[in-house]
Amino acid sequence: MLKRRRRSHLTTPGIRTEGAGYLLMAPAILGLGFFTIAPILFAIFLSFQKVKLLGGIEYEFVGLRNFARLAADDRLWIALKNTAEYVAIVVPAQTVLALALAATLNAGIKGQNIWRILFFLPTITSSAVLTLIFMWIYNADGLLNQALALVGLPTYNWLSDPNVALKGIMIMNIWSTAPFFMVIYLAALQDIPRSLYESAEIDGANSWQQFRYITLPQLRPVTFFVVAMGVIGTFQLFDQSYIFSGGSGGPNNATLTVVLLIYQSVFRDLQLGYAAAIAFLLAIVIITVTLIQQHIFGQEST
Amino acid sequence: MVYRDLQFFVLMIVSFLCVMSCQVRMPQIDWTISPLGQSDRPITLKLGGWGSSPSEQRLFQTVLTTFEATHPHIRVKFETVADQYMDVLKTRLIGDAAPDVFFLDSFEAPSLMANQVLEPLNAYLTPDFDLADFETTLLAAFQQDSILYGLPKDCSSLALFYNKQAFAEAGIAQPPATWDELLADAQRLTRDRDQNGKIDQYGLGILPDLARLVYLMRAFGGAAIDPQGKATFASEAALKGLNLIVQPYQDRIAARPPDVGTSSGTEMFGQGKAAMVIEGNWAIPFLQETFPALPFATAEVPRIQDQSGTMVYTVGYVMNRRSQHKPEAWELIRYLTGKTGMALWAKGGSALPSRHSVAQQLHYDRDPLRSALVAGIQYATPWQLGQYPTAIMNSFNNQFISAILGEQPLRQALQRAEDSANQQIQAAEQ
Amino acid sequence: MKFSIHPFNFRWVLYVLLGVYAIVTLIPFLWALSASFKPLSEIIAGDFFPHHFTLDNYRQIFLEQPLFLRWLFNSVFIAVCVTVLNLLFNSMAGYALARLQFRGKQFWFLVILAVLAVPAQVTLIPTFLILKSFGWLNSYQGMVIPGMINATFIFMMRQFFINFPRSLEEAAALDGLNTLQIFWYIVLPLAKPAIAAQAVFIFMGSWNNFLLPVVILFEPEMFTLPLGLNTFKGQYISYWNYIMAASMMFTLPMFGLYIFFNRYFIQSVTFTGGKG
Repeated sequence: MLKRRRRSHLTTPGIRTEGAGYLLMAPAILGLGFFTIAPILFAIFLSFQKVKLLGGIEYEFVGLRNFARLAADDRLWIALKNTAEYVAIVVPAQTVLALALAATLNAGIKGQNIWRILFFLPTITSSAVLTLIFMWIYNADGLLNQALALVGLPTYNWLSDPNVALKGIMIMNIWSTAPFFMVIYLAALQDIPRSLYESAEIDGANSWQQFRYITLPQLRPVTFFVVAMGVIGTFQLFDQSYIFSGGSGGPNNATLTVVLLIYQSVFRDLQLGYAAAIAFLLAIVIITVTLIQQHIFGQEST
Repeated sequence: MVYRDLQFFVLMIVSFLCVMSCQVRMPQIDWTISPLGQSDRPITLKLGGWGSSPSEQRLFQTVLTTFEATHPHIRVKFETVADQYMDVLKTRLIGDAAPDVFFLDSFEAPSLMANQVLEPLNAYLTPDFDLADFETTLLAAFQQDSILYGLPKDCSSLALFYNKQAFAEAGIAQPPATWDELLADAQRLTRDRDQNGKIDQYGLGILPDLARLVYLMRAFGGAAIDPQGKATFASEAALKGLNLIVQPYQDRIAARPPDVGTSSGTEMFGQGKAAMVIEGNWAIPFLQETFPALPFATAEVPRIQDQSGTMVYTVGYVMNRRSQHKPEAWELIRYLTGKTGMALWAKGGSALPSRHSVAQQLHYDRDPLRSALVAGIQYATPWQLGQYPTAIMNSFNNQFISAILGEQPLRQALQRAEDSANQQIQAAEQ
Repeated sequence: MKFSIHPFNFRWVLYVLLGVYAIVTLIPFLWALSASFKPLSEIIAGDFFPHHFTLDNYRQIFLEQPLFLRWLFNSVFIAVCVTVLNLLFNSMAGYALARLQFRGKQFWFLVILAVLAVPAQVTLIPTFLILKSFGWLNSYQGMVIPGMINATFIFMMRQFFINFPRSLEEAAALDGLNTLQIFWYIVLPLAKPAIAAQAVFIFMGSWNNFLLPVVILFEPEMFTLPLGLNTFKGQYISYWNYIMAASMMFTLPMFGLYIFFNRYFIQSVTFTGGKG
């Protein structure tokens, strides 16, 4: 990728975008460099060490031992499985919900401002309070079970039944992150040139066709962003499973996630080297999924 | 231009390494005890702890103000950690930015003691401090290889809280003295008042959390950990003990807080959804403030196998080994755990004093609500699980819930939990 | 401004669906609001409406916390600084990655994705050590400077800029504007909806930020609101009444900000509409 020959897409002669590129990137490179990339490099370095943190930091090079330990750790595979299941359900659901909400709210319905405000509420409520509210909703005789019983559906012990504990967290997360992506879609919808719809209308396209052949393709780059951030956010699920299980990942490992394991390794056992190895594995999984997804969502017109 | 990227990266790594090396060198800066010309400028001590209710915060501030008044050369800055106390504290200890004196739960003490981040206190102790006045069990929680690293600030044991009105309704005159009586009473106290098939009042409220259960294992000679610090709760004896709460739960005469729409044992008791709970001292001010109409009393935890048993939780004051103001830090600890300071704090009533003399001075040993708790301290199991406490606790809680819900046999759940805990400990020790 | 091109035959079904969804989003919020006016015993009992309406929880927070205004100031100050810096820097980087040609561009894009893929839990201790070596613990710069750039929104801005019609930039270039001028005078004004969305999220992120401040801010005078308001949590008992009131105090400014920026998601339709 670095070998690609230079060819400016901007037709103006005489403007060197090389310098301008790095000028515009400079704050990002410096800011990320010191406070994000440096800690990550440090973490990568640590993944090859046995680290003693308390009482004076000491390292000891252990080669790939931390990575070898990954393979033997049953809990990691359970966590990966839980997390993957979580990603596979939550990402499509929240993306579709966000897009549907945004498209509807952008279609000139009555009182769209009010709807936009109401639908955004879950995102601004702090996550600790949300979790608390959801514990109340998920209680054995809480709101959700009452509603389910009302329409004759089976009720569950949402908080402590291993078969549904993760589902409960999924529902909560879809509900609270969809508005975030809805706002991004709303903003993106504003940038679609209206002339495209006008000419389509002249050609006799109905509203579904317009959505299918104009809106969706135009939203592609933003959808790539939404899905990628969904994948990253869900692979890094931590808060809810921590609060719901009191940090244990139970019942019977049902809410154990990869980041919960990382957290336990860092702070509970002070095994920063091993935690870094897990994080390294997780990052590779996320990047791979994102690159595949970039491929699927097509090449943007760079 | 690949070269330029490379150049930048090299630069960044170099600067990063500089930063790190400064960091590593930093801990070795001077340890000299504060300069002698201290009389003109008071020394500021940092005291780390967690938050609490507004009234407790006010009380604690009063204690600190009193200390400052009697020790004019020391100012105390209380650094509250808003959440995840131990994570934050460990990070600050690693970065050499931890306070001079801080709260430490006995549960976390063994690993900090073993890692040499706490200052040994033996050399500071003077006879007039009267160490013998402290409850031995509580002191032992902050001792390793006969070195004392902390002094207990306060403590709380567990006792049986029972609803007097519910007892009267069920025609029970006395709180249960043995576990068998407890179960029989729980049976009679479990009520479905409106006959809708949903129980409105359970006999017993339980918390399936290792922190509340170790004494049950001990009653049959079991234990949570062995002398090497490995998990050992899958033993036959431990199994018998744990069955004492698994069985009533599965017989539906006991319930957990989320089963009845609450988030803690005190809440389910306060609301009358459980007629008995086994809770600590913290429940007393909470129940009195929040449910003033609730008629409740306390009794010692019922005897099992003809032995008394309960849990005790304690928090100590410890000194940072890298503190730059050690003599002053000791003065603060000495005051806060001394007879005057402790009495001032314990008067608030949310925790029991760790000194016999203070408990007597405040008449807690004769207080109708607190005497059961005070008595329990003598025979209680301190809440400690060796150097890898969270691996053990998390593994246990993770599996025990599914056993209590009947999703797997208790024996299998405990075996899985024990294996998982020991595997984690072994990996950590490598 | 309104799209007449979406005729809804099933308009009523749609409104009913929207209404149901609105209830689903509203109930938890209303529950928290209602709880903030209840004494603790009623919150535990779990009824929806307060039986004994009380302002006591708010009184405790406002009057009994001498540092409340200081925390509010800290939070606002940090969030405003962080938001302004981010809007500028993220947009710059996003534009460069979307439009400009320079060597290493793909590399930096990958770096940004990689940065996002690493969970914060594992970088927290290294970050703490770096901030300590800069002497930035317990300071505003320790909060603002590491937060001045955000990989998520660089990525977002890139995705927005990629889709922008090129014709305007080309025209401006022909008029003799250089890249930086084009970015500043032509591109940024066009990106209003994306910038508005970014502003809301970055402000919100800074406002809610807990992980870093809880570790690096020591002194109560330096606390941000979430830290200060979280000190009500006891070791064994949680005072939900104060927590609820605190969370309301905490959510309302965000809510106002969203309502303010919300109009940019509508207004600009007419603005960009004619062009393109």
